[in-house]
Amino acid sequence: MALLQSLGYAPIYGVNEFPTLRYYSEMFTDKSFRISLFYTFYYSLVPTIVGTGLSLYLALALRKKFRRKTFFQYIYKLPLMIPYLVGVALVIELFTPGGLLARLFFATGLIDHPTEFPRLLKTEWGWGIMTVYLWKQIPFTTLIVYSVLMGLGREFEEAASTLGANRRQTFWHITFPQMIPGIVAATLIVFPFNFNSFEVPFILGADFPNTLPVQAWMTFDNPVYSNRLGAMAIVMTISFISGVMLLMYLLFYRNYERKRGRQ
Amino acid sequence: MARKSKIIRVSLAERLSPYQRFYLLCVAIIVIVPFFPLLIRSFAFNWFWPSLLPTKWWWQVRDTAWTQLGWDYVFSPHSHVLEAIFNTLFIAIVVTVVCTAISIPAARVIAWEKFRGKSTVEFLLLTPLIVADIAVGLGILVTFMQLGLAGSYLGVILGHLIPTTPYMIRVLTSVFQGLSKDYEEQARLLGASALKTTWFITLPMILPGIMAGALFAFLISTNIFLLTFFIGQGEILTLPTMLFSKVQGGASLDMIGAEIAIMLSIPGLILLIITERFLKEEIFAKGFGG
Repeated sequence: MALLQSLGYAPIYGVNEFPTLRYYSEMFTDKSFRISLFYTFYYSLVPTIVGTGLSLYLALALRKKFRRKTFFQYIYKLPLMIPYLVGVALVIELFTPGGLLARLFFATGLIDHPTEFPRLLKTEWGWGIMTVYLWKQIPFTTLIVYSVLMGLGREFEEAASTLGANRRQTFWHITFPQMIPGIVAATLIVFPFNFNSFEVPFILGADFPNTLPVQAWMTFDNPVYSNRLGAMAIVMTISFISGVMLLMYLLFYRNYERKRGRQ
Repeated sequence: MARKSKIIRVSLAERLSPYQRFYLLCVAIIVIVPFFPLLIRSFAFNWFWPSLLPTKWWWQVRDTAWTQLGWDYVFSPHSHVLEAIFNTLFIAIVVTVVCTAISIPAARVIAWEKFRGKSTVEFLLLTPLIVADIAVGLGILVTFMQLGLAGSYLGVILGHLIPTTPYMIRVLTSVFQGLSKDYEEQARLLGASALKTTWFITLPMILPGIMAGALFAFLISTNIFLLTFFIGQGEILTLPTMLFSKVQGGASLDMIGAEIAIMLSIPGLILLIITERFLKEEIFAKGFGG
């Protein structure tokens, strides 16, 4: 349906120019589309990269034995279960000029007035957006990588160190290559998730520039009904990019399974 | 000999390094601390800048206030929160049941049978994980409007089935793959009817998987905002849509907003405890093919 509409077939809006690429060409020539595309990538890519790094370190630490490990395993998974909207509420309560962080800054004498607190949310830098993404995703990536690590066991590492490899060698030649499938799987799920998210950038992002899903909604939620076809074109573009990510994920996974000799 | 044992001890150190210890502590703090302002907010009557704690708590004014406040207000019929809780739970339960019923036979076929187009089906089952909610929402909204489903419970429930069912099928497929078809065949050979085989052999074997999948389907459904918002057309009030209207502006929450956010966190918290205690880690990861 969305595809047909983006190609100009929408009798219910009184538009029928099927098939036309007009809405796509209008979209691509629109400067604000290109800016939004850039920011969508920026907001999704940075947390994916930073989050993967932090998750790896966490997953490796989780393999060790330590006190209260069972308890910690509850704690770190908590954000996974919390809705994005609640994550947004948490970020708002922490980082707005009236939030807890600003109050703590006052208590320590760093600022005297709420207006001196730096504006963190609703700017094009997207600190709030990326914070929510990170908070939600580190547990996810960690869980995937950690279960891959648990499934592997430690025989190879033990063998390597018995044969005289030092810690760095063991990590880079044995542990890390074994973690790659988990990392890739998690990344290819996390990135489209960020890319597609609507409510987080809608609430925490700037009015302009913002991400493509938000722009699609703005275009759709417009009194001029024929604009909705443009919204469909944006939505199709988002879906296409996500679809490419998914295909990459599947191809990689197939390849990996074949390498491991399954099927 | 001595040197060797030293190497082993160093490279497979079982204990945390100081950095790792510090890191784990940071993670725990970053996860938990953000909930504090939310909790305080939900019990605060007056919380002016820059005090770290409210000047007046909810329970201090509870008896003297001219109207119901805070948690009293949330659970009073005027606030529509009860209605939202009811809607959220009702939709989630129906979605879970329907989605389980659809998924069991589908997963069984995918796991045990070979058929043409199987890899295509498997690919399509992954798409809801990736395709944007907004694409799904905007795409089906028009169709649902024409069918008169927009703004109805049926429409919202159908919408929620879109992300939940493929997830459930993936979880159950991996459960079926872990089982052998032989048990069913043996029962059939020994003269059990198809119905009896399903009831006494297959169902008990897949029950843990069904429970795990159903719990997550329930959680996914309670967390969905966008599809309810689009398809419900503002007529179906759930906790996520209510919270959205509270945080929409990006300004600090009021008491009610904080309370809704806390209530929305509860299903996840319960699920976390259940899954950690009774389920193996892999079951969750399985749904993602990881």
